[in-house]
Amino acid sequence: MSARDRILQNVRHGLGGSAARDVTKSDWIKTTHAPIPAIARRNGSERTTQFLNNFEQMHGTYSKLKSFDELPAMLSQQLRERNIGQSVRMGPEPDFSTLDWSNMDVSVGPGRLVEPATLTRAFCASSETGTLMLLSGAKNPVTLNFLGETHFVALKSSEIEAGFEGMWSRWRASGHTPRTVNLITGPSRTADIEQSLELGAHGALAVHLFLVDDLDTKDAT
Amino acid sequence: MIQHPAAKNFPKNVDQALKNETLQGTLRQVSGGFVDSRATARANLPEFDSLRDAARYMKNHTLQHLDLYLEEFEQAAKNAGGHVHWAENAKDAQQIVLDICADTNAKIVSKGKSMVAEEIELNKALEENGYEVVETDLGEYIIQLRNETPSHIIAPAVHVNKKQIEQDFRIAHSHLDPDRSFVDSSSLVREARHVLREKYFLADVGITGANMLIAETGQSVIVTNEGNGDLTQSLARVHIVIASLEKVVPTLDDASTVLRLLARSATGQPITAYTTFSSGPRRASDPDGPEEYHVVLIDNGRSKMLGSDFQDVLRCIRCGACMNHCPVYQAVGGHAYGSVYPGPIGAVLTPALSGVEDNKHLPNASTFCGRCEAVCPMRIPLPKMMRHWREREFEQHLTPAAMRYGLRFWAFFAERPKLYHFCTRWANRVMHMSARGKGRFSYLPFASAWTRYRDMPAPEATTFQSQWAKNRK
Amino acid sequence: MPETEKDQQDTKNVGLFVTCLVDFFRPSIGWAAVKLLQDAGCTVDVPAAQTCCGQPAWNSGDRSAAQSLARKIIETFETYDYVVAPSGSCAATLKKDYPEMFADDADWSARAVALSTKTYELVSFLTDVLNVTRVKAEFPGDATYHDSCSGLRSLGIKDQPRQLLESVDGLRLLEMKDAEVCCGFGGTFCVKYSDISNVMVGNKSRNVETTHAPLLVAGDLGCLMNIKGKLAREGKNVEVRHVAEVLAGLTEAPGIGDQK
Repeated sequence: MSARDRILQNVRHGLGGSAARDVTKSDWIKTTHAPIPAIARRNGSERTTQFLNNFEQMHGTYSKLKSFDELPAMLSQQLRERNIGQSVRMGPEPDFSTLDWSNMDVSVGPGRLVEPATLTRAFCASSETGTLMLLSGAKNPVTLNFLGETHFVALKSSEIEAGFEGMWSRWRASGHTPRTVNLITGPSRTADIEQSLELGAHGALAVHLFLVDDLDTKDAT
Repeated sequence: MIQHPAAKNFPKNVDQALKNETLQGTLRQVSGGFVDSRATARANLPEFDSLRDAARYMKNHTLQHLDLYLEEFEQAAKNAGGHVHWAENAKDAQQIVLDICADTNAKIVSKGKSMVAEEIELNKALEENGYEVVETDLGEYIIQLRNETPSHIIAPAVHVNKKQIEQDFRIAHSHLDPDRSFVDSSSLVREARHVLREKYFLADVGITGANMLIAETGQSVIVTNEGNGDLTQSLARVHIVIASLEKVVPTLDDASTVLRLLARSATGQPITAYTTFSSGPRRASDPDGPEEYHVVLIDNGRSKMLGSDFQDVLRCIRCGACMNHCPVYQAVGGHAYGSVYPGPIGAVLTPALSGVEDNKHLPNASTFCGRCEAVCPMRIPLPKMMRHWREREFEQHLTPAAMRYGLRFWAFFAERPKLYHFCTRWANRVMHMSARGKGRFSYLPFASAWTRYRDMPAPEATTFQSQWAKNRK
Repeated sequence: MPETEKDQQDTKNVGLFVTCLVDFFRPSIGWAAVKLLQDAGCTVDVPAAQTCCGQPAWNSGDRSAAQSLARKIIETFETYDYVVAPSGSCAATLKKDYPEMFADDADWSARAVALSTKTYELVSFLTDVLNVTRVKAEFPGDATYHDSCSGLRSLGIKDQPRQLLESVDGLRLLEMKDAEVCCGFGGTFCVKYSDISNVMVGNKSRNVETTHAPLLVAGDLGCLMNIKGKLAREGKNVEVRHVAEVLAGLTEAPGIGDQK
């Protein structure tokens, strides 16, 4: 008998035998009778506002863009303001590769030991906690999310979900099966030294979001 | 080699902890910080307590069908290209990890923070087999340099102060400029960041724990603030997840419920900076991520707890709220418990994992004030389970003789009301008289453990029962 | 005194579980409880067959001793309409622990549950069952209230004593820091782990002192003796009383542990 079988046998023995027990997917659903908090049910502009407030509470910063076309200029400005050289590391993300990066030193590939600035595309976000959801993969290498000293992220307002539930359904519907799903809420931090909060423990020292506001135009029509 | 305190020496450990001024200084910070931030987080989420009910229900359901959910998880993890291993005990778990490291021809192993790794003494096993083990969580890194064990499950180095860390860093990072100055905590954090950054790239194997395993998707979940766990598991060639059996939850939606409670209960954050869901190795077209993904499912005493008085403790999500709110933990800190899991959760879990004989003090070192249960996000009845352990101890004659006989002596009288009232009337008279109107005693020979630290109020004249009887005549 | 026929029929027949600590150390609390209950229209009896509820044995793991004491208490009190104790800790033993103690014993289980449903801690009985909203008592000066653990966390006693204390003429309630944190008494804990208990009661003493209230009240004599013992040892001159004494206006006797 393998360790696996012995463990499962012991589990069943502890639970009093397995004869009559069975769980189906419908039973799984029953376990999710948890309340969905009001903060995870915001809609419209309230949703965006709460998202940005929460994101800032967690020490994230952001700029709003009208379209992706503005991204290279805005990123360049951010790099200048942060005293970082005009260079950035990113993946072959289609939303980025069509843009005009001629004024900047762009390199494409996974993260390296020293990465002053990285740029990745978020899959979606959650207003509930101001959280970004990123999927690892060829287009957005996962190490860019953690190795960049300043981590720039791009997101569309229409991709902001109300809460965890919205993020999960968007992800399930997409059919993506990435190696990692990364929920990121602000820069890396630690309070391991005398409980004093320090940003930039091992991951990003700063997370800056470029929010492409694609909802205003929709609302107008 | 520093001698780690043992649970059986609890009274001696307490004595040392109370005399340790550095420790007492750091402990004062814990009680304030975590308690206030949790209270604020709870106040900001009106649904907090109903989420606790839901989480309790969800986890009870999962434990009741644990075998089935483990099988589901295993299948889903394999479908994503992962390897799943099963370990009955600590030794088997160590061996599985060692075998994977050997197959990888590993030299350096990086590690994210994991309590089950402490439980199975994984670092010791790896080091004995010649591997260089690098703890990457800042707190874990600090205690690794100090050759200590964690004193808190989410803040392992909470007992160490800044000055001590500075000294440790100067010794450990001798390649850096000896004249550098550490003006504040942030300079220490930067130095650790710099030193550890290279290690992630050098490591062949990255080991993390898991806050949850999701049966639906076959993912392991880590909840962190520093980002070290992500670097550990993304930059090494092989990612090993070690997790105890009870970490499994059915679906992503069940994970949401736990996530809504976990950080709020632990640090008071609505969510931590990073929550990462991982399954399998890097995908075919991925430029980064590990080439192999292993999950080691560890029993080490859990299956025995199912169906016992202690099944409910398997709901624990390791937030640390119980110890943050425990007045005993606040007084003595984590090391005094001499067990991997300190505080109220340890008082219940440790005897279940390594026997009640060597850990008999732990369930007794509680006033049953109930604060742990009151803040537990999973509503684990910790005092009740400590009491179950006390019953086991009484049955096995581990309770000190003086206590056993004292109780029986008391019960003998208490079961005989007439005798009892006769005796208490006389005892009351003797004690009342001997106080000579002073109202209290500063020393009582039969209650010296009391009078050592406080006065003993003297009884008023005559018992209530005799006054009542007299009054009714 | 009941004024009408109807009131007379509604008179509640209360068995007072005086508790062994009150019986031995502080009968004043017992009389205060009797007065409060009678003022609220109850008939009060104090059965002589009562001794200890068995909590020390139960909490020390001596199940059989606890059960035999519990059976005595159940037999002694099951004939009353209500069982009331001037202690959250002892009331919680009857209310919460007895049903658990006899969960596997068909005969006694029903009796334990029946007793449980009619057992109350004194102050919450006054407010929650008898709907008392104020008392006729006077106490000039400031007071601070310590929430004893069992009452607070097992029975949900928090606002009730504060509501009644605020109705006492002249009394102003000042909240201390960490009023809900254990004082370190914990029954046998305070002698088994006296060093830890000392830290806890030391914190409590400091928090009491910081309010500058000259009076500390609480609902459990064990806690009160512990805190008074520490305050006295540290030379802090704070009067300590059970909440019932203050609510009943029976504050002529010296405070707990004070000389005449």
